[in-house]
Amino acid sequence: MAENAEQYEYSVNQVPPAGHLFISSIQHVLLMVISLVLPILFASQINGTAEFAATLIAFSMLAAGLGSIIQSVGLPFIGSGYLCPNVCGPSYFSLSLSAAWAGGLPLMRGMIIIAGLVEMAIAPIIQKLKRVFPKFIVGLVVAMVGVSIISQSITSFFGLAFRDDAIQSLDIFVGMFSLMVMVLANLWGKGFVKMYCLLIGILSGWILALLLIPEYWHNLAAVKDFPLFALPAIGPEFRGITFDFKMIIPFVVIAISGSLKSFGNLLAAQKISEPELQEPNFVPIRKGLLADGFSTALAGLLGGMAVDTSSSNIGLAGATKVLSRWISVGAGVIFVILAFFPKFITILSLMPKPVMGASIIFAGSFMICTGLLEMFGEEWNPRKTFVVGISLFFGLSTAFLPSLYARAPHFIQTFFTDPLPTTTIVAVVLNQIFNLDIVIGNLKKKK
Amino acid sequence: MRLLKVIMFSAPVLMLVVFIAGCQGAYEDLDLSMYQYRDTKDLVKFVYDASLILKKEGMRSLAYFRNNRQLFNTPDYYLYIYDMNGTNIYHAGMEQLEGKNLLDVTDKNGKKITQLILEALEDNNNPHAWVHYSWWQPGKFYSVPKSSCHFKVETPEGKELFVGGGLSYPHEEQEFIRIIVDGAAQLIAGKGRAALAEISNPVSKYNYRDVRVFAFRPDGEMLISPAINSTFSQTNLLECTDEAGHKPFANALKELESQDTVWKVFMAKSRYQRRLIKKCLYIRKTRMAGREIYVAAITDLPEPPY
Repeated sequence: MAENAEQYEYSVNQVPPAGHLFISSIQHVLLMVISLVLPILFASQINGTAEFAATLIAFSMLAAGLGSIIQSVGLPFIGSGYLCPNVCGPSYFSLSLSAAWAGGLPLMRGMIIIAGLVEMAIAPIIQKLKRVFPKFIVGLVVAMVGVSIISQSITSFFGLAFRDDAIQSLDIFVGMFSLMVMVLANLWGKGFVKMYCLLIGILSGWILALLLIPEYWHNLAAVKDFPLFALPAIGPEFRGITFDFKMIIPFVVIAISGSLKSFGNLLAAQKISEPELQEPNFVPIRKGLLADGFSTALAGLLGGMAVDTSSSNIGLAGATKVLSRWISVGAGVIFVILAFFPKFITILSLMPKPVMGASIIFAGSFMICTGLLEMFGEEWNPRKTFVVGISLFFGLSTAFLPSLYARAPHFIQTFFTDPLPTTTIVAVVLNQIFNLDIVIGNLKKKK
Repeated sequence: MRLLKVIMFSAPVLMLVVFIAGCQGAYEDLDLSMYQYRDTKDLVKFVYDASLILKKEGMRSLAYFRNNRQLFNTPDYYLYIYDMNGTNIYHAGMEQLEGKNLLDVTDKNGKKITQLILEALEDNNNPHAWVHYSWWQPGKFYSVPKSSCHFKVETPEGKELFVGGGLSYPHEEQEFIRIIVDGAAQLIAGKGRAALAEISNPVSKYNYRDVRVFAFRPDGEMLISPAINSTFSQTNLLECTDEAGHKPFANALKELESQDTVWKVFMAKSRYQRRLIKKCLYIRKTRMAGREIYVAAITDLPEPPY
């Protein structure tokens, strides 16, 4: 990667100096922390105690931290070797909750382990799918990775914790301010300011929120109730692992969908880390998916929530041109250490929602544009127009019209869940159908 | 650049110091931890702030409230003040009500709103005196669901008044069903079987919107049905399943062997969209005629914003 030294602040295999490595890792940790809202919400939805929530968060952080290390450190058979940290995966949230209601945490753990194993089993197949993922579909998938985080980012930007709750103008102001600081530091800043634009944006937005909005100030009182250091308390809920045959199909479906999302993330990570590649190199992608599945299974074994690769962190890497995989390893190590420091976790999880939203928008914009550039970077034709157009219609409709899909036939509900997997599936299938004439023509020529 | 670096590194340190030292909020004597929605918390703070003004300034503050009606009449809620006989003293949204005694006023379903408020103000189990009913928004012609909270105030002149505010289209807080279920359990423990009629009365405080308090025996036999105003259909609650096929009552009763209350989450269909949503069941153990029974209610759970 030495040839890319001028193009990047730090290229994928470069080891930044200790100070930069640490601050860059912290910058990524701040984005990863946003996903901790999932175990917090999970604990509240099953009316878990504060101790239960703290343990669930700690185990989820351990799984995500270890997963990030495995994904990026460069092991021989597993891990993509790109800057691609792991976070708690939103796609597993609803199903994990159903498993926890049906059979408590032991069942959730068992089903997450199965999902992880399914993801690992899918990984070798991905390499065989090279033909079904031409460059323009890869671009579409990467763009959809950014699109799939729009709902999360915008609701956070407006300061919403729950659907239909009150929105404060000051929250929007804080979000706007934070986003502008991040973007302008990235556009106009140089060196230090450009590299840490997200960190600067988060801190300035956070301080502004504390100054302007008493609610965030008031929330800080909770920090006093948490110990500085604590080992996860393994209560009776965290003992045992069980399985339920009835839940296998939904978990397999979500595992496939999760693999497709990680596939998109890994393609994006590859695209920004190695733009010189003319076509995707499926070896690191396969190893990355294997690591993703392993981390998910590990989360189940530990007693945390299922983990997934993080789109936002890849977007941040692309926006700052700081692509060193060692930063992902550093972020993973920090995440593992933080799991034992509840006071710090609480502080980080109290990051104002509009600031979180601004961070995801900042990272997501990069993902969307990288994908679009990739998609339109080659010669266009009417086949591609229909493949991309129709798949976008159906993919985006899952976000625009969720209640429509709630009444759709069961097999439609199974596959039309979220913009990213739906667009990917429809695009791949249509591309094969629309090119049948060429395939048949080639076969005839051979004969 | 150097200055930027200094600011950059000093800011987190400063924040950390502030965090670890902890901080006191503006509402340190007002516990809002039981509420999940910002709308609900904002309403309680709104009414509480007004109660502090009235407590400090007494009857003089009425002039301030009347001269600044726009401050106390927002699109989501408005303020009102009554004396303990049910006479309206101030209404930010409906000026024409001032001076009228509304003790016997009912909503469209027959709920005696002011009487329920006076009852709630005396209920230690209901710290912010919540009452749920239907009302109309000033200037509109249709009814809106409301949840109102109230604070009793003794003015420096020695007058007892209450200040309240109602949220139109309120969120279903879990605290709301905790209040009515705990209250119903207490009533049954005190009055026995006679309490069941009062609890199942549709215009009592134990029933509002889609929420109703119901009761059943440990074997699942219903004393008050959760679904209809009769127990003719003796479905065994322990055998009932939710949309995901789970048995929330059977699971809850296992936990109630070692505790007095339990919250259970289950899946149901949403009223308008028919998609699956999470609901919550709260059950409290009590005794009726020397035998253990369970009192419960069901409410919606907050949904993630996306």
